[in-house]
Amino acid sequence: MRRSTLLSLRLVLTLACAGSLLLVGTGPVPAEADGNEKKGTGPQTVPFEMLVTNHMVVRTKLNGHGPFDLIFDVGAPITLLTNKASLKSGTIKEDAPRSFLFSVRGESEVEKLEMGDMTAKDVPVIVMDHPLLKAMGEMLGRPLDGIIGYTFFARYRTTIDYQAKTMTFEPVEHTVRNLMKDLPDRLAGPRVARHRMLVSGGLWGLNVEEPADGLNSPGVPIVSVAAESPAAEAGLKVGDVLTTLDGRWTTSVNDTHAAAAGVPPGRETTVIVLRDGKELTLTVKPAGGI
Amino acid sequence: MNRRLPHLGLFLALASLAPSSPPASDANQDQGRQVGQSFQVPYRLTDTNHFLVRVRINGKGPFNFLVDTGAPALYVATETARKVGLKPDKGSFWATVDRLDFEGGARLSKIKGRVEDPFQLVGMNALGLPGASIDGILGFTILARFRLELDPTRDRMTWTRLDYEPRDPVVPDRRPGEGPPAEVQAMNMLGPVAKFAAALVGKQPEEELHPRGYFGLELEEPAEGGVVRVTRVLAGSPAADAGVKPGDQILRLHDRTVKSLKAIREAVAEVKPKDRVDLSIKRGSETQELTLTAGEGF
Repeated sequence: MRRSTLLSLRLVLTLACAGSLLLVGTGPVPAEADGNEKKGTGPQTVPFEMLVTNHMVVRTKLNGHGPFDLIFDVGAPITLLTNKASLKSGTIKEDAPRSFLFSVRGESEVEKLEMGDMTAKDVPVIVMDHPLLKAMGEMLGRPLDGIIGYTFFARYRTTIDYQAKTMTFEPVEHTVRNLMKDLPDRLAGPRVARHRMLVSGGLWGLNVEEPADGLNSPGVPIVSVAAESPAAEAGLKVGDVLTTLDGRWTTSVNDTHAAAAGVPPGRETTVIVLRDGKELTLTVKPAGGI
Repeated sequence: MNRRLPHLGLFLALASLAPSSPPASDANQDQGRQVGQSFQVPYRLTDTNHFLVRVRINGKGPFNFLVDTGAPALYVATETARKVGLKPDKGSFWATVDRLDFEGGARLSKIKGRVEDPFQLVGMNALGLPGASIDGILGFTILARFRLELDPTRDRMTWTRLDYEPRDPVVPDRRPGEGPPAEVQAMNMLGPVAKFAAALVGKQPEEELHPRGYFGLELEEPAEGGVVRVTRVLAGSPAADAGVKPGDQILRLHDRTVKSLKAIREAVAEVKPKDRVDLSIKRGSETQELTLTAGEGF
């Protein structure tokens, strides 16, 4: 009895989880990319079309079949293809099993995805009929065959230019995280907060405190500057409000340490402080040390 | 379920298919529009593979917003709107954000946004899945003003301001018809389902962050096989209080033999402010054991 309760809870969770992902535009179970692309090729330009719904659509060929129209959605955590398009492009076989929910047929791979002058190889996809896609296709009177999401973008340096209506892709070396491998474990596992240390790259001789006025605060007040330290040499003073460190907002003590973590010893960086209501930009060169 | 209730995203998107041609935005009075300027926008990738950037709304924040080219406009969660005092314009579907600042320096003014709890965020936030709260969504009407460069190997995106003002989506209420398709309505219900599930099993906690403790030791990287030497002890620092002097050689730190700056950083990687740390130093020919209490700062 207890066991079945647990099981059904897990099912609810999995569904809810799948749902919450779906709602952002896609479905569960992304696959790992294996990035078989030719590296070192320059950026490749792909024109896109804007739908009246303000979505980017690219006309593609999948495994030499097509055309298929895919939505490019940076907010989608995975890449998915409809059952119909998957069958037509030979991405899955006719007898692949279906689940009851949105006809999910699981992970597969498109061997060759062509768009513009660009060819991407071995693109991991989830085969499912996403209701949103179907509804949109019906409204537009044209079929939409899938959504390109994070698992695709993560393999490239991607540039999106809405004005020129083009995207460019340049392959990068990057390991794509397998979302669904980790997620069920996190959901079923103990509710223990992961902890992470924030470690400054270098020695500054600086201390800040939490701002007093919450959301209205522009930054963290500086409470100490060690004499002759890199912070002192930069001109930082007690009472200054530190708003930006190395291009990152410093709205809390943690923020400040996280921003300092990105600055190695010996590298000059800029900080912005408010002093007497005026904004000052100063240059700090942290020393090696702890 | 209230079928008249406008839902985020798709419904809006569908709404903009309405035959009446949408009026061009008249809110182009974006002062100092930063056209041609590039900004390095720090982002974090959530556990759910979503890109989050930080914004301030009318000077208040920061808030985590999702970068989502699949959303048609700017969405501000109701809780976020409450915190910053943002309300829809009188009799309007939209609220006007006077000023929207992005971490990295980009700024937009007089931007229309919708105050609404995007149903996908309800689900994700309830379960604590992204490892961070999500306070809203940056959709097309925001993103299209920039050329966006996403490089997964860097911790910042590059946004370059275009001379381009996208139109606002049409208000959904103008669309004849009674609501989103049944399948989409079914999906809308998953937000509450996730919330319910979260109530049963508990929310995933957010990541806990701890600044490392401060010592105030400036150190010199030794030659191969050498010993790490203290080049400076910062005034008023824990190291100064413990009696460390310039020229001291560090032999052991926090129960570890340390022969490089890297080894030193690793030895104290988990040290928090107020933790006590033992230190063996060599001064001249003498070896001394000191105890240091880590401070706050960096």
